[in-house]
Amino acid sequence: MSGARSTVRLHRELYAEQAIADAAATFADFAKFAIRSEGDYAVVELNDIDTEAEGDVVAEFCNFALANTAVMRKDDHA
Amino acid sequence: MIFPGGNLNLMTHSQIESIDGATSTLILALDTELYPRDVLYAAAYVFIDRAYVLLDRQDSRYVVRFRAKRPIDEATMRGMAGEFENELLAQALRARVAKANQKLIEDVTALAIGGATARGGGAADGLVDLDNPGDDGFVADPGGLGAPWTGEKGRRE
Repeated sequence: MSGARSTVRLHRELYAEQAIADAAATFADFAKFAIRSEGDYAVVELNDIDTEAEGDVVAEFCNFALANTAVMRKDDHA
Repeated sequence: MIFPGGNLNLMTHSQIESIDGATSTLILALDTELYPRDVLYAAAYVFIDRAYVLLDRQDSRYVVRFRAKRPIDEATMRGMAGEFENELLAQALRARVAKANQKLIEDVTALAIGGATARGGGAADGLVDLDNPGDDGFVADPGGLGAPWTGEKGRRE
């Protein structure tokens, strides 16, 4: 771990809370996550990001949160 | 003129907010009234294997930010914007067709499964009685249709 940090703001209307939590759990080996609500947004603070990991951990986390939300919505409609 | 009396942005209600070739980043905005949110998810989902996609909402617009996973030029990014619009339309149509035909699909599926398993109208009406599959010839294979095409049979022929 290199101590790199980043903050992501995900609109709560567009990203399901559970989807964000699941994505954070998926990437738990690559960063430490702290999630809080701030107005319309879920603010995700990533600390100790593993900069040695392949790809962009922060952006991949966001993709996972989006994919999880899409899948959850689809399952809800099924 | 391909679209008489119209400008493309007015027609689609989406537009390119910015393109940054240096970071392979494209930002699109579209009217929230135009597409259901599920359509937006479905279209965005298609792109997550080749781009990092971030959704946001600003007033009455959805803002979609793409950053390509591999460097791409501006023309390719403009192409990606067009592909995204196409995907929105395709997903919207797909959702509409599915909704319109949902009852029909459910009825046909139930009829097919019910008929095959005899669960719907009794064993006499079904093709296969799952409680006694052998009686219906479900297990027996007198014609050898289940035999592999290769191997012994293949050599014999």
